[in-house]
Amino acid sequence: MPSSSRCCGPLLPGLEQPSRRVLANGAELVSLPMAEAPLVCLDFWCRAGSVFETAPESGMAHFLEHMVFKGSRSLAAGEFDRRIEALGGSSNAATGFDDVHYHVLIPPAAAPEALELLLDLVLEPRLDAEAFAMERQVVLEELAQSEDQPEEVAVQRLLAMACPGHAYGQPILGRREALLSHAPDAMEAFHRRLYGGGRCVLALAGGLVGTDLEERAAAGALASLAPLDEPAALPPLAVSGGEHRLELPRLEAARLLMAWDQPPARDLQGVMGADLATSLLAEGRRSRLVERLREQLQLVESIDLDLHAMECGSLALLEAVCDPEDLPAVRAAIRDVWQEVMAAPVQVAEWSRVKRLVTNSYRFGMEAPGNVAGLIGTGRLWARQEGLEAPLEAIERWDPERLRTKALASLDPDAAFVLEAVPA
Amino acid sequence: MSSTIEPTIPDFTLSGGLPVVVRRRPGPAILAARLVIRGGSAADPRGHLGAHQLLAGSMTRGCGDLDADALADLVEGAGAGLRAEAHEDALVLGLKCAADDAAELLPLLLSMVRRPMLAPDQVAIERQLNLQTLQRQNEDPYQLAHDQLLHQLYGDGPYGHDPLGVEGDLERTDPSLLSGLAADLGSQGAVLVLSGSLPDATEALLDRSLEGKPWITQLPTQAAADPMGGDPGAASSSFPVAGSPLLALEQDTEQLVLMLGCPTIPLGHPDGLALRLLQTHLGMGMSSRLFVVMREERGLAYDVGASLPARCGAAPFVLHLSTSADRAEEATACLLDEWQSLLEAPLDLAALDLARAKFIGQDAMGRQTCSQIAERMALVLSHGLPTDHVERCLERSTQLEGSDLLAAARRWLPRPRLSLVGPAAALQAASAAWTVHDLGSASVSL
Repeated sequence: MPSSSRCCGPLLPGLEQPSRRVLANGAELVSLPMAEAPLVCLDFWCRAGSVFETAPESGMAHFLEHMVFKGSRSLAAGEFDRRIEALGGSSNAATGFDDVHYHVLIPPAAAPEALELLLDLVLEPRLDAEAFAMERQVVLEELAQSEDQPEEVAVQRLLAMACPGHAYGQPILGRREALLSHAPDAMEAFHRRLYGGGRCVLALAGGLVGTDLEERAAAGALASLAPLDEPAALPPLAVSGGEHRLELPRLEAARLLMAWDQPPARDLQGVMGADLATSLLAEGRRSRLVERLREQLQLVESIDLDLHAMECGSLALLEAVCDPEDLPAVRAAIRDVWQEVMAAPVQVAEWSRVKRLVTNSYRFGMEAPGNVAGLIGTGRLWARQEGLEAPLEAIERWDPERLRTKALASLDPDAAFVLEAVPA
Repeated sequence: MSSTIEPTIPDFTLSGGLPVVVRRRPGPAILAARLVIRGGSAADPRGHLGAHQLLAGSMTRGCGDLDADALADLVEGAGAGLRAEAHEDALVLGLKCAADDAAELLPLLLSMVRRPMLAPDQVAIERQLNLQTLQRQNEDPYQLAHDQLLHQLYGDGPYGHDPLGVEGDLERTDPSLLSGLAADLGSQGAVLVLSGSLPDATEALLDRSLEGKPWITQLPTQAAADPMGGDPGAASSSFPVAGSPLLALEQDTEQLVLMLGCPTIPLGHPDGLALRLLQTHLGMGMSSRLFVVMREERGLAYDVGASLPARCGAAPFVLHLSTSADRAEEATACLLDEWQSLLEAPLDLAALDLARAKFIGQDAMGRQTCSQIAERMALVLSHGLPTDHVERCLERSTQLEGSDLLAAARRWLPRPRLSLVGPAAALQAASAAWTVHDLGSASVSL
């Protein structure tokens, strides 16, 4: 198969390495053609997540993401969506703690027009006062909708208590009273402060062969962004141990939530170790926690342990769903499992299983242009130098004993912040 | 446009009749397989609602010579994904794995269907997990509104319950009942679609895994597809709507959830494309009618949309949104007006063009991964539709006129039912808006 001899080699068959260039104002372009992709993904990333908000700006990063779609200097409200979708494309956006991105999936023939529309939209939002007041209602509805899901309320409380004083403990949607006091001029200042050359990356992935998208992107609106100084260092995340019990109306089953801090996203080796460790503990029916708590003891409906890789420090979040009266037994079983893991070397079969699960999860994510654009986009946004195969190479540098004494050791239940949510 | 439907020619057929359709896609060195067996939750035996989902889940807990642990070791050891679940009209089994592991894992799909172990202790675990999930789903006001609407639309009919089932029924569903259901799998047709990189000599590999016991089945047909026994070609809405036109469930939430819907037609019905274009117009993307009118222009909701799932029978056409309690009356009136307008005037040309463009755009969105390709092909074939069904629809979509859509709306969407979940004051306000609206007062006189 000729595809497997490309530069990502056997680790990522069928994929080339991304190519990149830096514009004079510091903005970056990164692109990756994908042979069989029927679509192009245009993905604009900016280091403007909620971590960059001041206290009075609570919710501004996400509110701004909404306002961007309400029109720009040359696009009327709703015009962007109508034109993109009339071209057979779709668009969306997402705001995180660290960054925000706006993306379009579009057939290759329409990609040049979509590219102009996207940059026009994102770089010069109109922030019209009437639209601002209307969109605030939408954001408040979004907040109300999330508050009607008791599980989301519990997770938000966990983050608030596990990350005191850190932006990761604050809701991305913002506090209601802050949202009510926001005004267009403050939002404009927020945009001016953060949406600048050195903080932005445009990623292109998918059916790029035969298009001149990269040239167009380099010559277009991206180059006209004002350069911006680098921001102050991000505040490091440190989860403090502790515990809390919360009664929630409309909860049907209890939740045990646990949070640990983990290596920051820039520490690829550490992040892959955390990925391996959380998978060993809770990925699949034969993982340690699922097998013991769900299959053998039948104490939980589900138990998940997810790694959220983030720039200030990653978070490992555990969630177990169980009867309220079983909470003490669930906690004891989690402690037992962890102590057993720490007491004996990881066996060959388990080590191999975990490596395959993590490797394939990464590989399988490389089929869709949207995923690939996100991966190469965030990689450049946070100035990571490694190639696409780097996570897979990092896995190979781990061994069972180091995983146990380092990555697994860091998931000590006694070091976690623990929240029990029970039906009111 | 050709109107003759060519019979689907599978790439090969296994001993006993299972058709296998292949879509090669070598690049990423992945295999995605999807086995769809007609007869899902709509075929749950009376008194055992949830039996097909319990069967599907139990299939992943041991098959052939592999007990639950051995099966999980094999699949997870290869870093693969293997799932089985009941949809309304079919059991659906899916495998995704690296190409190098396909020869070892692909035969499991047949083994799960033909030789499920159904060990009592494993079925008991699966049943308990399903019961817990059913209970937990009640935390979600959307789920409550949806369950309530299904009752309004289908009553005790085949689509009236969640595939997970209902508590009492599930508690008395045992391995012997599941064995009976398993023995019958394939009698209404089945199809296997493989997308990506195939192992060497796939046909021989799969035939060998039947172990000399042919699986008697065939490609599903469109005839007799409807679990309600309705005539898919019927000219007018003949489905007897089951429950109350308006139901309201009080919950101590901030928002009111509204679902407005009615039972319509199967995927392959001649009017199916017209309804799909109406759903696209109303609910697909940020340029959709509901998004623009209710969210962009009035700020009534964050989440608003329209759905029309593919069904072999009377698929539900549903509009949904959630809004703050204090805006319940305005939101309800607005949603009812939008439905009413479908029945009163044809879409203008700009709206129709936009709906067509989005419908065509969705086609490429669904061809990005091996899994998507397998899933979509298997869906079409499991409905007894030809392999080029999607291409035919894309072509026909450019020819349908606003008047065709209006006629289809009048045939299939005349009397929607409203399901509400939220705080008491919002329920009252929404009910009041319903009562004074043409759609609400029309249904009272039924």
